[in-house]
Amino acid sequence: MKNRIEEIRNEKGIRQEELAKLMGVSRQTISSLENGRYNPSILLAYKIAKFFGMTIEEVFIFEEE
Amino acid sequence: MYNNRRLALSIFWVVIGLVLVGLSIAEKLDSSMYAGMGGALAAVGALQVIRNLQYRRNEEYREKVDTEVSDERNRFLRMKSWSWTGYIVVLVEAIGVVVAMILGKETVQLVLAYSVCLLVGVYWLSYVVLSRKY
Repeated sequence: MKNRIEEIRNEKGIRQEELAKLMGVSRQTISSLENGRYNPSILLAYKIAKFFGMTIEEVFIFEEE
Repeated sequence: MYNNRRLALSIFWVVIGLVLVGLSIAEKLDSSMYAGMGGALAAVGALQVIRNLQYRRNEEYREKVDTEVSDERNRFLRMKSWSWTGYIVVLVEAIGVVVAMILGKETVQLVLAYSVCLLVGVYWLSYVVLSRKY
Protein backbone atom coordinates (compact mmCIF):
# COMPACT_ATOMS: atom_id res chain seq x y z
CA MET A 1 0.00 0.00 0.00
CA LYS A 2 1.36 3.41 -0.98
CA ASN A 3 1.18 6.34 1.40
CA ARG A 4 1.95 10.04 1.64
CA ILE A 5 3.59 9.97 5.07
CA GLU A 6 6.99 11.25 3.90
CA GLU A 7 5.40 14.00 1.80
CA ILE A 8 3.10 15.20 4.59
CA ARG A 9 5.83 14.85 7.21
CA ASN A 10 8.19 17.00 5.12
CA GLU A 11 5.44 19.58 4.55
CA LYS A 12 4.97 19.84 8.30
CA GLY A 13 8.73 19.85 8.96
CA ILE A 14 8.72 16.86 11.26
CA ARG A 15 11.66 14.49 11.49
CA GLN A 16 11.21 10.70 11.39
CA GLU A 17 12.45 10.43 14.98
CA GLU A 18 9.87 12.95 16.18
CA LEU A 19 6.99 11.26 14.37
CA ALA A 20 8.13 7.87 15.67
CA LYS A 21 8.24 9.14 19.25
CA LEU A 22 4.80 10.70 18.96
CA MET A 23 3.33 7.51 17.48
CA GLY A 24 5.07 5.27 20.04
CA VAL A 25 6.96 3.30 17.41
CA SER A 26 10.59 3.03 16.36
CA ARG A 27 12.18 5.26 13.71
CA GLN A 28 12.75 2.16 11.58
CA THR A 29 8.98 1.59 11.51
CA ILE A 30 8.37 5.08 10.13
CA SER A 31 11.15 4.55 7.60
CA SER A 32 9.68 1.20 6.50
CA LEU A 33 6.21 2.74 6.23
CA GLU A 34 7.51 5.55 4.04
CA ASN A 35 9.36 3.13 1.79
CA GLY A 36 6.25 0.98 1.47
CA ARG A 37 8.04 -2.05 2.89
CA TYR A 38 5.65 -2.38 5.82
CA ASN A 39 1.89 -1.86 6.00
CA PRO A 40 0.69 -0.46 9.33
CA SER A 41 -2.04 -1.85 11.52
CA ILE A 42 -5.36 -0.03 11.31
CA LEU A 43 -4.62 1.44 14.74
CA LEU A 44 -1.29 2.94 13.68
CA ALA A 45 -2.76 4.14 10.37
CA TYR A 46 -5.53 5.86 12.33
CA LYS A 47 -3.06 7.43 14.77
CA ILE A 48 -0.87 8.77 11.94
CA ALA A 49 -3.85 10.13 10.00
CA LYS A 50 -5.29 11.73 13.13
CA PHE A 51 -1.93 13.30 13.97
CA PHE A 52 -1.77 14.89 10.50
CA GLY A 53 -5.40 16.02 10.84
CA MET A 54 -6.46 13.93 7.86
CA THR A 55 -8.48 10.84 7.09
CA ILE A 56 -6.82 7.47 6.58
CA GLU A 57 -7.73 7.59 2.87
CA GLU A 58 -5.89 10.89 2.50
CA VAL A 59 -2.68 9.45 3.91
CA PHE A 60 -2.82 5.86 2.69
CA ILE A 61 -3.56 5.01 -0.93
CA PHE A 62 -5.30 1.68 -1.39
CA GLU A 63 -4.43 -0.14 -4.60
CA GLU A 64 -5.96 -3.39 -5.84
CA GLU A 65 -3.16 -5.95 -6.18
CA MET B 1 9.09 -4.29 30.90
CA TYR B 2 11.41 -5.00 33.80
CA ASN B 3 9.94 -5.52 37.25
CA ASN B 4 10.95 -6.75 40.71
CA ARG B 5 10.21 -10.37 39.84
CA ARG B 6 12.52 -10.20 36.84
CA LEU B 7 15.24 -8.60 38.95
CA ALA B 8 14.83 -11.30 41.62
CA LEU B 9 15.03 -14.00 38.94
CA SER B 10 18.19 -12.45 37.47
CA ILE B 11 19.82 -12.36 40.92
CA PHE B 12 18.72 -15.98 41.44
CA TRP B 13 20.54 -17.01 38.22
CA VAL B 14 23.69 -15.19 39.38
CA VAL B 15 23.57 -16.96 42.75
CA ILE B 16 22.92 -20.39 41.21
CA GLY B 17 25.72 -19.79 38.69
CA LEU B 18 28.19 -18.76 41.38
CA VAL B 19 27.22 -21.75 43.54
CA LEU B 20 27.85 -24.11 40.61
CA VAL B 21 31.22 -22.49 39.88
CA GLY B 22 32.11 -22.60 43.60
CA LEU B 23 31.19 -26.28 43.92
CA SER B 24 33.20 -27.12 40.81
CA ILE B 25 36.27 -25.26 42.14
CA ALA B 26 35.89 -27.02 45.50
CA GLU B 27 35.71 -30.28 43.50
CA LYS B 28 32.33 -31.16 44.98
CA LEU B 29 31.03 -31.62 41.45
CA ASP B 30 32.70 -34.06 39.07
CA SER B 31 32.21 -32.50 35.69
CA SER B 32 33.76 -29.25 34.45
CA MET B 33 30.51 -28.86 32.54
CA TYR B 34 28.93 -27.50 35.73
CA ALA B 35 31.61 -24.81 36.01
CA GLY B 36 30.93 -23.70 32.43
CA MET B 37 27.19 -23.82 32.95
CA GLY B 38 27.51 -21.89 36.22
CA GLY B 39 29.75 -19.29 34.61
CA ALA B 40 27.30 -18.81 31.76
CA LEU B 41 24.34 -18.56 34.15
CA ALA B 42 26.13 -16.02 36.34
CA ALA B 43 27.17 -13.95 33.30
CA VAL B 44 23.69 -13.91 31.79
CA GLY B 45 22.13 -13.17 35.19
CA ALA B 46 24.59 -10.32 35.85
CA LEU B 47 23.87 -8.86 32.41
CA GLN B 48 20.14 -8.99 33.12
CA VAL B 49 20.65 -7.30 36.51
CA ILE B 50 22.66 -4.49 34.86
CA ARG B 51 19.99 -4.01 32.18
CA ASN B 52 17.25 -4.07 34.78
CA LEU B 53 18.98 -1.41 36.91
CA GLN B 54 19.70 0.73 33.85
CA TYR B 55 16.03 0.45 32.88
CA ARG B 56 15.00 1.74 36.31
CA ARG B 57 17.52 4.58 36.49
CA ASN B 58 17.85 5.79 32.91
CA GLU B 59 14.63 7.30 31.55
CA GLU B 60 15.97 7.53 27.99
CA TYR B 61 16.95 3.86 28.01
CA ARG B 62 13.57 2.91 29.51
CA GLU B 63 11.75 4.76 26.73
CA LYS B 64 13.96 3.12 24.09
CA VAL B 65 13.38 -0.39 25.48
CA ASP B 66 9.62 0.15 25.84
CA THR B 67 9.38 1.39 22.24
CA GLU B 68 11.46 -1.52 20.93
CA VAL B 69 9.29 -4.05 22.79
CA SER B 70 5.90 -2.56 21.94
CA ASP B 71 6.75 -1.43 18.38
CA GLU B 72 4.26 -3.13 16.05
CA ARG B 73 6.80 -3.71 13.27
CA ASN B 74 9.12 -5.45 15.73
CA ARG B 75 6.22 -7.62 16.88
CA PHE B 76 5.42 -8.41 13.27
CA LEU B 77 9.05 -9.30 12.62
CA ARG B 78 9.21 -11.54 15.69
CA MET B 79 6.07 -13.42 14.64
CA LYS B 80 7.26 -13.67 11.04
CA SER B 81 10.62 -15.01 12.21
CA TRP B 82 8.92 -17.72 14.28
CA SER B 83 6.74 -18.57 11.30
CA TRP B 84 9.77 -18.91 9.01
CA THR B 85 11.58 -20.92 11.67
CA GLY B 86 8.69 -23.39 11.78
CA TYR B 87 8.55 -23.75 7.99
CA ILE B 88 12.32 -24.17 7.67
CA VAL B 89 12.51 -26.75 10.49
CA VAL B 90 9.69 -28.84 8.99
CA LEU B 91 11.26 -28.62 5.53
CA VAL B 92 14.75 -29.55 6.75
CA GLU B 93 13.40 -32.42 8.82
CA ALA B 94 11.30 -33.70 5.91
CA ILE B 95 14.41 -33.66 3.70
CA GLY B 96 16.26 -35.34 6.56
CA VAL B 97 13.70 -38.17 6.61
CA VAL B 98 14.30 -38.86 2.91
CA VAL B 99 18.10 -38.63 3.28
CA ALA B 100 18.03 -40.94 6.32
CA MET B 101 15.86 -43.39 4.39
CA ILE B 102 18.36 -43.41 1.49
CA LEU B 103 21.29 -43.87 3.88
CA GLY B 104 19.43 -46.61 5.74
CA LYS B 105 19.53 -44.79 9.11
CA GLU B 106 16.23 -46.07 10.42
CA THR B 107 16.43 -44.56 13.91
CA VAL B 108 17.24 -41.08 12.58
CA GLN B 109 14.49 -41.44 9.98
CA LEU B 110 11.96 -42.40 12.66
CA VAL B 111 12.96 -39.59 15.04
CA LEU B 112 12.77 -36.98 12.26
CA ALA B 113 9.44 -38.34 10.99
CA TYR B 114 7.94 -38.21 14.50
CA SER B 115 9.32 -34.71 14.92
CA VAL B 116 7.64 -33.57 11.69
CA CYS B 117 4.37 -35.18 12.87
CA LEU B 118 4.69 -33.41 16.24
CA LEU B 119 5.28 -30.03 14.61
CA VAL B 120 2.35 -30.48 12.24
CA GLY B 121 0.21 -31.56 15.22
CA VAL B 122 1.23 -28.48 17.22
CA TYR B 123 0.52 -26.29 14.20
CA TRP B 124 -2.95 -27.82 13.78
CA LEU B 125 -3.71 -27.47 17.51
CA SER B 126 -2.54 -23.84 17.50
CA TYR B 127 -4.71 -23.14 14.48
CA VAL B 128 -7.79 -24.60 16.20
CA VAL B 129 -7.14 -22.67 19.44
CA LEU B 130 -6.45 -19.39 17.61
CA SER B 131 -9.47 -19.75 15.32
CA ARG B 132 -11.67 -20.00 18.41
CA LYS B 133 -10.03 -16.96 19.95
CA TYR B 134 -10.18 -14.69 16.87
